[in-house]
Amino acid sequence: MPATPWFSIEQRSGRTTLRLAHAWRLARLPEIEAALAAVDLPPDAAVDASDLEEIDSAAALVLLRAVRRGQDGRAAPPWQGLSATNRRIVDQVGAHLDALAPVPAPPRPGALARFGCAIADLGALLHGHLSFLGATVAALAQVAARPRRLRLRELTVQFEQTGLNAIPVVALVTLLIGVVVAYLLGLQAEKYGANIFVVDGVAIGATREFAPIIVAVILAGRSGAAFTAQLGSMRLTEEIDAIRTLGLSPQQVLVVPRVLALMVALPLLVFVGDVMSLLGAMAIAGPMLDITPAAFLARLREALDQRHLFIGLAKAPVFALVIAVIGTRMGMTVGRDTRAVGAATTSTVVQSIVAVILLDAAFAVLFQALDL
Amino acid sequence: MSESTAPVIEVDAIVTRFGAQAVHDGVSLRVGRGTLVALIGASGTGKSVLLREIIGLQRPSAGRVRLLGTDMWAAAPHELDAVRKRFGMMFQDGALFSSLTVAQNVAVPLREHTRLARATVDALVALRLEQAGLPPDAGAKMPSELSGGMRKRAAIARAIALEPEVLFLDEPTSGLDPITARGFDRLVRSLVDDLGLTVFLVTHDLDTLLGVVDRLIVLARGHVLADGPVREVMAVDDDWIRDYFSVRRMADREPR
Repeated sequence: MPATPWFSIEQRSGRTTLRLAHAWRLARLPEIEAALAAVDLPPDAAVDASDLEEIDSAAALVLLRAVRRGQDGRAAPPWQGLSATNRRIVDQVGAHLDALAPVPAPPRPGALARFGCAIADLGALLHGHLSFLGATVAALAQVAARPRRLRLRELTVQFEQTGLNAIPVVALVTLLIGVVVAYLLGLQAEKYGANIFVVDGVAIGATREFAPIIVAVILAGRSGAAFTAQLGSMRLTEEIDAIRTLGLSPQQVLVVPRVLALMVALPLLVFVGDVMSLLGAMAIAGPMLDITPAAFLARLREALDQRHLFIGLAKAPVFALVIAVIGTRMGMTVGRDTRAVGAATTSTVVQSIVAVILLDAAFAVLFQALDL
Repeated sequence: MSESTAPVIEVDAIVTRFGAQAVHDGVSLRVGRGTLVALIGASGTGKSVLLREIIGLQRPSAGRVRLLGTDMWAAAPHELDAVRKRFGMMFQDGALFSSLTVAQNVAVPLREHTRLARATVDALVALRLEQAGLPPDAGAKMPSELSGGMRKRAAIARAIALEPEVLFLDEPTSGLDPITARGFDRLVRSLVDDLGLTVFLVTHDLDTLLGVVDRLIVLARGHVLADGPVREVMAVDDDWIRDYFSVRRMADREPR
């Protein structure tokens, strides 16, 4: 048997004694455990702790488990030579040892169960969104009936944050989109000498599709996420409960101003996007396609039917309603732990973007059917 | 245990300023091995700040802190790493990692700092939960599913995972009902008596002070106002201390 510093085994007149030595501490436990595993202790082995300097509860656990391994509950010979301090620790661990049950592993559902749960969760989510939308519309109707209930101050603050403050990023992104789309169309149109039709493409594409979609996606990431984070942390600090107990409606105080602000801000920002993407297109049309700004504007008057502009602007409030409802509802229903706010915020952005694109596809089909 | 008589915690002339406001103006104290010491003081006297300075989370404006012989604000990073394995801290609301189960929370220090076999870690986690007075099925729960008292017990289980020599507790009984709180007091006392830990706690709970604490340190006006056994501190002639204990005097209950 290899010699270890922590114990020795004595055989005397048929009796085995485990003689402990040195300090049994958690820091050296891997080596102690390996040494214990290498020896075969008979069930009636006695333990002599006269030379044991100290033992901590982790080491006591490992020792007790090793000594009791073969005992099957039979009474073990008493340990000799334990100091008072060490005895307290060994006794305390020994008392717990019988009650120790392995911690059950968290349940791991199978793939089918997870799939089913995901579908059920999605259904519950959509159902919740729909009833929240209903409650929001009801709250909006109350405000329409009694306009004095509208919280003007909160509305202007939200409008500033979601609308005005978003102008630079919206302007920059749509300007660059205008440049890129005009460039791509220009590459194709040049081959056929149809340079001037780039104006038609950019004008209709940008006002009807690109600008509304891109602005809605930017606001989903910017304002939808902010709504969830704001209301989520308010829920954690029980502010939303406080609003309720003060006899106010969170729907009125928190949701309506945000929904209204976004529904006003988004169409205005789409208009900013329309103008900026046309400016971007005009900027590249000169050097690349030999279309002067004057020619660009003249062609624009012919090509851009007003209905395209209005269809783009009309979609914007619908996108805004969906983004604001998802954002505020995810915030107000967030779980009561810190991790939940982050998860809900991420989920808001993903849900809003998917919803915006699905709605846009639905609009495309609708307008096709209406021949617009 | 090496029965050295060197103090476990040494705080020397600590000064803490936030802007123009001085929270500590020369706080000094010593805590010896194997005692249960409580730090009290009115709100805003910097009890929690002092605790954070002792364990190296917040730098004092001046003064020196030695924890287990290591100067917490002058030591090299590897010395700090070594001393961090020798003390445990229970934060006020537990500060359990919300993405892990209770058992995984307790296993974190064991997995990070030891090379123990998985089965041994699992057994040790079960022992820690048992020592902290938690039922075994609590181990599989997420922290958000626990009550306040169980969360604090889980936090204790994590704090003692590595067999620390010193345990720091920030308001261990705040927000607990009196019965749960007394059970918690007994748990802390047994850690000192049975496992030989040194416990340093910040509290407002008079029952904790009168029931289980060996020594009381009162922080007021930037200084240590009183320091000694509870009965001696109660006799100190100071308005704040008189007010603090007046409720108990009326109830005429004998401290231990």
